[in-house]
Amino acid sequence: MRTAPPIAGSAAAQDEPPEMAQMPRLRRGWRVFIFYSSAVLLTGLAAWLFADLIWRTGWSLSGAVLLGLFTVLFLLIAVGCMNGVFGFVLRLTGDRRITRLKDYRGQSIQGASTALVFPIHNEQVPRVCEGLRATYQSLQKTGLLDRFDFYILSDSSDPDKWVEEERRWSDLVGDLDALGRIYYRRRVVNEGKKSGNIRDFLSTWGRRYRYFIVLDADSVMRGETLVDLVRLMEAHPQVGLIQTVPALVNAVSLFGRMQQFANRLYAPVFITGLNFWAQGFGNYWGHNAIIRTEPFMQHCDLPQLPGVKPFGGQILSHDFVEAALLLRASWQVWLAYDLEGSYEEAPQTMIENARRDRRWCQGNMQHGMVVWARGLRGVSRLHLALGILGYLASPLWLFFLLTFNWMLWYEAHTGLSIITVRPLTPFLKVSAKQHALLIFVLCMVMLFLPKVLALADLARDRERRRAFGGMLHATLGAVAETAFSTLHAPLQMLWHSKFVAASLFSVGVHWGPQKRSADGIAWSQALGEHWAHTAIGVIWGAAIWRLDHPAFWWFAPVVLGMVLSIPLSVWTSRASLGEKARRLGLFVTPEETAPPPELAGLRARMAGLEKAGETRSLPPDAGLADAVLDPYVNAIHVSLLREKRQNPAYVQALAELRAGRPEVRTLCEKLLAHGPGELQRDEKLVILNDAEVLPWLHRQAWLRPSGTLAPWWQEQIRKYAR
Amino acid sequence: MSATARHDAPGMLAGRPLEEWNAAYSKVESYFHALRVRNKVLLGQLVARVLERAMQRSAREPARSATELAVEEMDRLVNEWFAQVLQAPPAGADMLSTRGRLALLLADMPGQWQDQFLRPGPWPEEFALKMREAYLLAGPDFQLAKMTPRPLDLGAIATLTQLSRLPYFKMAASWALFGLLLVLLFYLTHR
Repeated sequence: MRTAPPIAGSAAAQDEPPEMAQMPRLRRGWRVFIFYSSAVLLTGLAAWLFADLIWRTGWSLSGAVLLGLFTVLFLLIAVGCMNGVFGFVLRLTGDRRITRLKDYRGQSIQGASTALVFPIHNEQVPRVCEGLRATYQSLQKTGLLDRFDFYILSDSSDPDKWVEEERRWSDLVGDLDALGRIYYRRRVVNEGKKSGNIRDFLSTWGRRYRYFIVLDADSVMRGETLVDLVRLMEAHPQVGLIQTVPALVNAVSLFGRMQQFANRLYAPVFITGLNFWAQGFGNYWGHNAIIRTEPFMQHCDLPQLPGVKPFGGQILSHDFVEAALLLRASWQVWLAYDLEGSYEEAPQTMIENARRDRRWCQGNMQHGMVVWARGLRGVSRLHLALGILGYLASPLWLFFLLTFNWMLWYEAHTGLSIITVRPLTPFLKVSAKQHALLIFVLCMVMLFLPKVLALADLARDRERRRAFGGMLHATLGAVAETAFSTLHAPLQMLWHSKFVAASLFSVGVHWGPQKRSADGIAWSQALGEHWAHTAIGVIWGAAIWRLDHPAFWWFAPVVLGMVLSIPLSVWTSRASLGEKARRLGLFVTPEETAPPPELAGLRARMAGLEKAGETRSLPPDAGLADAVLDPYVNAIHVSLLREKRQNPAYVQALAELRAGRPEVRTLCEKLLAHGPGELQRDEKLVILNDAEVLPWLHRQAWLRPSGTLAPWWQEQIRKYAR
Repeated sequence: MSATARHDAPGMLAGRPLEEWNAAYSKVESYFHALRVRNKVLLGQLVARVLERAMQRSAREPARSATELAVEEMDRLVNEWFAQVLQAPPAGADMLSTRGRLALLLADMPGQWQDQFLRPGPWPEEFALKMREAYLLAGPDFQLAKMTPRPLDLGAIATLTQLSRLPYFKMAASWALFGLLLVLLFYLTHR
């Protein structure tokens, strides 16, 4: 066995909460104070101007509501803007990089063992395995592979995916000669979802490792970066978690490439700003992060929240809460924004993006409960609150627009004309229209200044400029991305408002089945997902036009995004348009200009698999057929099931599933005689969980006369004939 | 095969039509394909060996089809060979078969040792050793630990979550909301 040895005694030594010598409370407090005071100051100024405008046009209850909403929304964009401004200034005046606090490069990691864990749930298995392969081979090049172990932690509930995972894991291990280095484990019951999956790993093997690095199904990390993370942890024993900033990569659609470009261009400035006030009190984003095992095991097992859904029950967005719990226990959480070589993929279409937001929204809304927990640090409450407001901002914006529309309607309905008076602010010698324009410009500055600053930051760095395809192309890309995000924002507003409402009222959101054309989203699916957006845009636009022509032009970008949602969704999902934009030099990112070897290898292998038809979805029950008929897949599957018997928790879970009971044989007889179509998914899972019955099933399927088997089996056996 | 075929009538083999043996051949060949025996010569030899054994039983068991006899003999032959190579103590056929198939995979029989499959001993030492030591390690030894969630004291906010459990809370809340809406509308339209 080539497993990295457990660190005897080290765990106990790391139990003690460390001294917080490097981050004096006052200094950090000042940073938070200065940063947020800037945002509040700007918000105060804007709110004053807005209040003055309302006063000029006649004070009313709806005006007061509008002012309240404006203030909250402006504060949010001011915080975003300040992140950009502070980040830009910091990068301009000198690098105060967190990874340069101490020279860690010489730090030995020989005494540290680290597990790389890939929690997966019904993912595209070839992509998971190829991502793991890229990371493994990159780590191999560092010569420090023996300090790391890899774990595929499956929570897949689809029987076919489960068997495919085992088959591909076995192939991968064979290819890389990595038996005893890359492990596979599937939980019997996926209680607690992703956080439960990690907890199960820690309960079973956590004590073997001083650190563990969590990766997503689509994550790839450079070997040197992984080693650097361990070195950083070794050099800074007070740190409990270091989060890297994953670069979005491998996008092919126009939408994906725009998101990728925005991430790579704007993130450095934003994250530097974020790090200014967060410092050692950063956040955890759920993956591409290294975690000190012992404190995590001690402090981060998540409790069930009291009450019922949407706020009670299991904590869904666990990452923010886990970071808050580590901070509560006096461990630091860092954002290693200056470490390169951390990658992930992003949704390729607007609809996929919205689906992901739906999951995140539900989890973030639940933080509305956690944010009040006693003992949390103030910074953790800020992270949680910002996460909640990230989604709550949409219904607030919608409410703001509707309130404004109400005021227009009221004005038109009553026939009263607005008589403007002089503003309260003495030096503001402008008309009411100019006054409104001034506020609008201020809002636009808040929204777009960080993007301009990100471009200015790019202009200062020759290497980065080249990596983005040159300054001109980067600027054109930023303009085009801004135009698209202006149209996309109203759709996000409608989607997020729906998600927030659905979360609050515990209502499920229905998604139509995925209908992909050869090149992105099919028109029929876009119609199904966006018809309501289009209808809202048309009706809303017509209503405003009827009420007030000049107001319509103010609302035009909002309704235009809605009206154009169907073509926008289809066209931006096209890989051909993504490629065309790339040829024009638009939305180019450093990983496209000079692909790192890990990503280049990954792309080449995925292209090869695609060509060989290996990435196509498998026919129904293909996994079950493999698990029963294929002599090797059956042996692997049974062998993995037998290993589970060493863990009392799995033994109990298997017993609860009825695995090993006589009635499973009856199910098998039904399966043989009538085929899998006669069995429910849970029944198939019971069979696949039974280590005794599967070898028997394998022999029976091959030995029994064809006439006694369902035609489905005969068909499956024929596939082995040449 | 020749010994059993010697006295057969035209179109018959071991007292059964050629078509029946053809079907048996296909089934046995499919299983060896599934085991990734790709060398055609070896494959042909192995299938013939299995059918030879089936033909010897053919006259004694006329009620059973040639395919049934052939796959049974194939299973028996493979398991006997597993028992010899693995030097396995007597165990159930299912258990032995699983261990043997796993050993074939981990020893890379399809890649390096196709010629050794079902061959009587002695086998090359490396192959025999690989077969006997084959063990699929899906994870290292467990080091079980228990994580215990620490309760979050949510303070007063926790009591709010209990409100929805009050009888008729939702109904009362929706009436209150309706009332509030009426008041708001009245105010806005009667200023």
